[in-house]
Amino acid sequence: MKQLVEDIAKALVDIPEEVAVREVEGEQVTVLELRVAPSDLGKVIGKQGRTARSIRTILGAAGMKLNRRFTLEILE
Amino acid sequence: MSEKKYSLAKIGSRIDAFLKPLLKRARFQVKYEMSEGETAHPDFENPDITVKFTGADVDLLLANRAELLLALEQLTMESLRMPSDDHARISFDANDYRALRIEELRMSAAAAAEKVKRTGVPFSFNPMNSRERRVIHLALRSEPAVRSESSGTAGFRKVVIYPAGMPSPATPPEPPAPPRPSRGRSRSARR
Repeated sequence: MKQLVEDIAKALVDIPEEVAVREVEGEQVTVLELRVAPSDLGKVIGKQGRTARSIRTILGAAGMKLNRRFTLEILE
Repeated sequence: MSEKKYSLAKIGSRIDAFLKPLLKRARFQVKYEMSEGETAHPDFENPDITVKFTGADVDLLLANRAELLLALEQLTMESLRMPSDDHARISFDANDYRALRIEELRMSAAAAAEKVKRTGVPFSFNPMNSRERRVIHLALRSEPAVRSESSGTAGFRKVVIYPAGMPSPATPPEPPAPPRPSRGRSRSARR
């Protein structure tokens, strides 16, 4: 799932080398922390957070197949 | 919409490059086919490229008003760096969702227009995205007795239908006012 978020983020940003995802496993939930270059933050968040919402939707559906909840945190 | 701007020859392989690995990693059991200039409702939608999904997980794509389908569509267009003005030029579809949704919106528009004509009271739809609002506006072009307008702030914009002669409210509904400086207020309350 880390790789999924990483692939999506890399396709959206201008500086893919600076994309990093960290997976933090909780009991119920896995948190995916996404870091991108400061200049790329807008690219992964999108207008009114639309892009971030789309990534979360995909993550939610993919997690459902694994019976696990995933949440995305975009770190500044 | 004007002439074609995107072709499969130009961006088909870039769509594949984004979408194929994504679907595989997410384990979505779907396949897709791309085609050019297909539409069931040329008056409402004229995408340059249509991407049609089939397979076991199509229901997952279409759940919650096609939330996942539209998320895939949006991210694909962002990955292609398409300006948002062009976002109607690519249409993701499955089980004729798009055509059925347009039918649904047309019927809602007609029913709402009838109601406004009968009662003389404006009718306000639920918030919709820009493509769906456009369908409502287009559907009402043939109704001279009413007019439609989008109002509200980004993300919550919705269509309102008015009787043709009725002006819009003088000030559109504002988002909640910024919190007043509470410190100042409590001080003045104490006098």
